[in-house]
Amino acid sequence: MIDFSRGEDLDLVAETARRFSDEQLLPAQRDFEQQRRVPELVLQDAHDIGFDRIDWPEASGGAGMGALARVLATEHLAAGCPGATLALQPLGSVAQALLAFGGETALRTHALPLAAQPGMRAVLVFDPRGEWQGEGEMLSGTVPWLPTDRVDLLAVLSRTGLRLVTRGIVVTPVPGAGLRAAGACEVRVDRAPVDTAWSDPVAAALALAHARVQLAALIVGQMHAAADYSRKYALDRVAFGRPIAHHQALAFLIVDMHSAVDAARQLLHEAAWRLDAGQPAGEAAATALIEAVENAVFIGSNAVQILGGAGFMRDYPVEKHMRELRALGLLLGGADAARDDALPSLSPLVFLADGAQGV
Amino acid sequence: MDFSISTDDQARLQTLRRLGREEIRPAGWRADRAGAPLPVDDPFFVRMLAEGFGGTRWRPAGADAGRADVVAPNKAGSAVAQVLLAEEGAYWDRGIGVALPGPGLGEPPILSMGTPEQKERFLSPFVDPRRPIWGAFAMTEPSGGSDVANIKTRARLDGDHWVLNGAKSFSGNSSRAEWIVVFATIDPALGRAGHRAFVIERGTPGLVDFRLEKKMGLKAYESISFFLSDCRVPMANMLGGEAYYTQRSGGFKGAMNTFNAGRPAIAGMAVGIGRAALDEAAAFMQAHGLASDVRLRDRLERSRRKLKAALLMALRAAWLADQRQPNVLEASASKALAPPAAFEAASFAMEVLGAGGGRGDHLIEKLFRDVKALDIVEGTGQIQRVVMARHLVGLPN
Repeated sequence: MIDFSRGEDLDLVAETARRFSDEQLLPAQRDFEQQRRVPELVLQDAHDIGFDRIDWPEASGGAGMGALARVLATEHLAAGCPGATLALQPLGSVAQALLAFGGETALRTHALPLAAQPGMRAVLVFDPRGEWQGEGEMLSGTVPWLPTDRVDLLAVLSRTGLRLVTRGIVVTPVPGAGLRAAGACEVRVDRAPVDTAWSDPVAAALALAHARVQLAALIVGQMHAAADYSRKYALDRVAFGRPIAHHQALAFLIVDMHSAVDAARQLLHEAAWRLDAGQPAGEAAATALIEAVENAVFIGSNAVQILGGAGFMRDYPVEKHMRELRALGLLLGGADAARDDALPSLSPLVFLADGAQGV
Repeated sequence: MDFSISTDDQARLQTLRRLGREEIRPAGWRADRAGAPLPVDDPFFVRMLAEGFGGTRWRPAGADAGRADVVAPNKAGSAVAQVLLAEEGAYWDRGIGVALPGPGLGEPPILSMGTPEQKERFLSPFVDPRRPIWGAFAMTEPSGGSDVANIKTRARLDGDHWVLNGAKSFSGNSSRAEWIVVFATIDPALGRAGHRAFVIERGTPGLVDFRLEKKMGLKAYESISFFLSDCRVPMANMLGGEAYYTQRSGGFKGAMNTFNAGRPAIAGMAVGIGRAALDEAAAFMQAHGLASDVRLRDRLERSRRKLKAALLMALRAAWLADQRQPNVLEASASKALAPPAAFEAASFAMEVLGAGGGRGDHLIEKLFRDVKALDIVEGTGQIQRVVMARHLVGLPN
């Protein structure tokens, strides 16, 4: 039965993340960006709270709260600084991919050792076009940019399988267009040995859905911050005798920005709910990601626009919001890699689970 | 959170879907081709009465309250279910949804503002109607549509009657209605506080000059303009009685409550029309070797996504209403987003037909004409943005 209430547990997750973000991330986001890292103390705090494993099974040290909990926490953290949020979840969506392919055994074998060592990073790369070439037990490929300064575990996800690489990963620092708080590097592997490989298209689709939902949550959280900052600025800033928010050209833009964030958020929550409910989620997750990526460009650009010349300056956060939002939308193949999954068939349209709609 | 449709609602959607395919869409097509509303004595209405349409939500005192939820296959007890049913109903034919007999838009103000006696008097004929009968609602005036605060129709007390003068337009089913809920003002200077709602019965002297508007789409139901010319309405027909209006801004609030309850449902209807257009377009693509055309697929994906987002926003607004939580921002957002998304869907579907869309004989072409109205009724998309801007940035009136 349709119910938009989050319940006490999810409310607590959201509130905890919001407070952490407001106190530890938002005020320091420029420092993180400049230093290209998040201080150890902040990382440790986040780890102690458990933001990095909120949806892991309890038997593996997680809170077992599901994808919606992860999404809500991520949204609030990303409102403070999406790059730092990536750093606070050092295994990214690799853990969810391991669970999809090999269950808790795979998670314990491949992820827990990394999680135990501070500073280690695992990265999930989506390879939609089969560009990563394997020869036997070897893998070659390159990613021009990833928001990290190190890669201890590289998980290459295709539409049919998952390959793990821990050796022979060459990282080269790059300036980074956004998300610098998490670092920025080019990743290259040349006939690197594959530690483990799975072939399972169903698991691949599930892992991809988890990763896309997580990415959409980062975008929605940062979008919310950008829209809200520019809305409040427009109420303070006076031009032509009134707050600029009261000029209709801007008032209606602010309204449309609000709706754009909300539309992406509703698609995101529905997709995350599907993951938790065991409903088919591939199409919903792809749909949520595309909406988030496209709306992010609209929000980022207009957040700067509302501040005018000030928005172009680094004294205000909106120029960072715009760059972060653009950069986030480039991960996992971005919107374009998701479009085929968002339209898996031309059969009559069914919006919601349980097949209650459609012909 | 839960995004699954309850078993009960699924069953009701199934029923509506069957009726939609077998009865509602064919009837809508028939009216569109005829270019005129279905006549009062159309056998379709009698069949729909047998299917459970035409009734009221109201129940006489002591009646089984459990039945109050189920008044018609397209009516629900919760705002959330109403969005789902509105979506499904509009998928088959939105015009028929309005044309169907029953108390219609007049019912909510009677339920929320009427005295027990008034509810009994005006709604009891709809409890178990033997023949199709209608109720109607008239707010909009020729001088202004969405600006409901500034209605010009005047009501003045004369002995034991109210005398109404003014003009109303675009009122659904008015010329065939047993009664029309009409909003008027006792003093324009009072603004919202001057508003009063009257139930004007058929044949009341001064209820005159019904004119059937000629529409681009949604031809299945009659949109009526009429005049109130020294129309004498008994005092007992003022909804709630005078005491009701001395409560703070009661009268206008009654009207706005009607609108708030309606916005998510209208958004759902827009989504339903859009979905119908996209399903037709997808079927056409498959039948004409266009299924793998990436340009068309990308646009189809976009349209599906925008409709889904709008539906979720409408459901959320409706859910807030069900929880008795303020939902003006959410309701307006869904109403602002859904119709343009649905129009884009229908317009895209026309393009999928290619020049065939220009022939004027495809269902998609009808949907394209029908859907535009949804961006206008219950407050245009522009009004929704004004409402939202008041909430978000305190845009001055």
